[in-house]
Amino acid sequence: MSAFLIRRLLRFVVVCVGVSVVTFAILHASGDPVSLIMPEAPEADRVQLRVALGLTDPLPTQFVRFVANAVRGDFGKSFFHREPAFGLVVERMPTTLALTSMAVALALGVALPVGVYGAVRRNTIADHAATVVVFLGQSMPVFWIGIMLMLLFAVQWRLLPVSGWETWSSMVLPSVTLAAFTTPLFMRLIRSSMLETVNLDYVRTARAKGLSEWLVIFRHALRNAALPIVTVIGLQFGLLLGGAILTETVFAVPGVGRLLVRSIVQLDFPIVQAGVFLLAIIIVTVNFLVDVLYVYLNPTIRLR
Amino acid sequence: MKRWLSVVLALTFAALVALPIGAAAQGKDTLTVALPSHAPTLDPHMHFERVGILVNINMFDSLLHRTAKLEFEPSLALSWKALNDTTWEFKLRKGVRFHDGSTMTAEDVKFSFDRVLEPGKEKKKSPQYGNVRAIKEVKIVDADTIHLVTDKPFPLLLERVVFFPIVPKKHLEKVGEEAFGSTAAVGTGPWKLVEWKRDQHIRLEAFDGHWRGKPAFKYLVFRAIPEVSTAVAELKTGGVDIIRNVNADLLPDIKSHPLTGISTTPILRVHYISLDMRSAPFDKKAVRQAANYAIDKQAMLQKMMAGLGRQVATVVQPAAFGYDPSVPPYPYEPKKARELLAQAGYPNGVDITLHSAAVDWRPHFEALGQMLTDIGLRTTVKMWDPGPAWNKFLQAEGKATNGAYGSWGNYSVFDADAVLHPLYHTEPGGWIGKHYARVEGLDRLIDEARSSVDQAKRKRIYAEIQRMIREEAPSVFLYTQNDTLGISKKVAYEARPDEWLWLFAAKPKN
Repeated sequence: MSAFLIRRLLRFVVVCVGVSVVTFAILHASGDPVSLIMPEAPEADRVQLRVALGLTDPLPTQFVRFVANAVRGDFGKSFFHREPAFGLVVERMPTTLALTSMAVALALGVALPVGVYGAVRRNTIADHAATVVVFLGQSMPVFWIGIMLMLLFAVQWRLLPVSGWETWSSMVLPSVTLAAFTTPLFMRLIRSSMLETVNLDYVRTARAKGLSEWLVIFRHALRNAALPIVTVIGLQFGLLLGGAILTETVFAVPGVGRLLVRSIVQLDFPIVQAGVFLLAIIIVTVNFLVDVLYVYLNPTIRLR
Repeated sequence: MKRWLSVVLALTFAALVALPIGAAAQGKDTLTVALPSHAPTLDPHMHFERVGILVNINMFDSLLHRTAKLEFEPSLALSWKALNDTTWEFKLRKGVRFHDGSTMTAEDVKFSFDRVLEPGKEKKKSPQYGNVRAIKEVKIVDADTIHLVTDKPFPLLLERVVFFPIVPKKHLEKVGEEAFGSTAAVGTGPWKLVEWKRDQHIRLEAFDGHWRGKPAFKYLVFRAIPEVSTAVAELKTGGVDIIRNVNADLLPDIKSHPLTGISTTPILRVHYISLDMRSAPFDKKAVRQAANYAIDKQAMLQKMMAGLGRQVATVVQPAAFGYDPSVPPYPYEPKKARELLAQAGYPNGVDITLHSAAVDWRPHFEALGQMLTDIGLRTTVKMWDPGPAWNKFLQAEGKATNGAYGSWGNYSVFDADAVLHPLYHTEPGGWIGKHYARVEGLDRLIDEARSSVDQAKRKRIYAEIQRMIREEAPSVFLYTQNDTLGISKKVAYEARPDEWLWLFAAKPKN
């Protein structure tokens, strides 16, 4: 077990280093940051600022300094807000995480029963209908689903607020939009994973024992089918954070994604760096947690 | 990392629990405006964002106000006059109260200017410094009189003090700049701050002690909604009452909806193609004129801008001081354009490349390129990101190019200088003019008009300049543009040519 976790932990560290290299490169790939900060200034002022920002030091020195600061959450001040960039990102993180978590919960809430049903009652009309929905859901881009849901539920039927993040009711549409993006994938995966397990010997044995179908499916079969699902939830979480960028913009949700989009347009690199760094760390952490969960769910992994 | 994670998780939970369940009631006494974003600060001197100015003007007063007809009107200054070429005298309104109850004094006025001018300091903090840099000194003459002294004659001074909010010295020194910009902004304007939730809303409440009296709406809310279609949906459902910058393609929808309408007005923005006069083919006057004859401006206006705009003879437009209506616009004459091109030595046409960073206007840019191609100026259009790429293009002095399509908003200054200097002056401080424009004698005329406060003389010079650039054609002169507001039928309000949202003028409709 420990060998497995240590290997994963090492991988975690390697990915973190990779992430910091990429975020560090963002600033340098986009040309001379000084001419972005003060485009109209005379050259003498620019040289002064370059020295002040340490941009004249060799790249490795700069990188080490960047990492040292990043670990302490110091990404410098936002050019636009004139406040520490990290604070601006962290301030908005709860909203984005709340949106993403709700979407995952919603997606699972729908995908689990439908997926299991599809596996148990394979090739019935309901199963085929679910497959069609899967294809439809996956073929529609997030922002389009968002706008369509908004037009129907908020403009046409007046059931929910159009946008914002002020009340529980205003959170419904963004969460559903984001969930619509990931539900089909969960559903398909749960179905195929369940299909594999429901025909295994031990399931037949459980049935033969005279257990109720309900117990057989949900306690015996699903538990073993859960492994790939847990992995994919981990992976999807990252994708969902990406999807949140569009959802937040469409529904005017005050989250990190929207801040990032605006900062990219405004060339506010400290915020972009802090945001990319933090999101990447969250994704890597979630995946690491999934690995740990694996060990718990499937004891055989400890032996490998 | 772990510590951050637990903090974030705790905040996530808190954020969820803290939310109310039902929708917030949108009372009749509330006016809600959608903006694409909020400015980084509420401090009116420490940003230069249109979205921030629109909020600030409803919370703060300046020395002068501008009416919807663009005339100066007394605000915190009751009267004003030029004592000589470099000294302006302002008589202050008496008994004006700040939101915190204190009375505005000449000290506050001086303090407000000094915190932007920062006399004696090398590096200035305020991004608005450039607007008022001509002011050398602010003198308090007596309790109700101040003098603004400029370093040389500065005809744009009155324009510059229309948005120059006066802030309370004592209060600001007490709470500090950070709090002033976020939670403790205090002015003399019609509304005072209640709360600012970043990226969500800025909520203001009518200020009882405002010198104009009470505004018609008790609450004023500025919501931040980045996506246009979302803002339109909010307008239709009553979530917001006013949205800005409605594009031509959205107009029919908003016009025909039973609960919404539009208000449109010409604004200062003027569209043009700047031509690179340093190199062939636009070093020849005939080619530049050919390009001007090649564009069917009326077709552009009617087909692509819903008719909301006006053809202009040059880049100086009707709303700006110095506009000369006797200068005729170039008509659409493709035949003449081809002849001029042949005369200039290009009977078989010539290949050119035009650049632009105006992402929203790409279809227009491509249509313009097609019209030029039709008369033999075979155009390749190149779109740039408005960000670093475009900066690099400008830093390379626009080399390897024949021109650039764009539009200029005059910094909201209603004066010919505000467009002529950036577009055509070749001094280093100029904008695209320093690269492209090479019109003999034009620099001298622009300088001459800029350094005089004799408005009759300035008018004469601007008339001369307009005839000169009409003939020399350093740009392809196109059209002005409208700004269109989408407005709820419950609210009476008219769009203003300066694109301000002066909501004291807004009234509820039954």
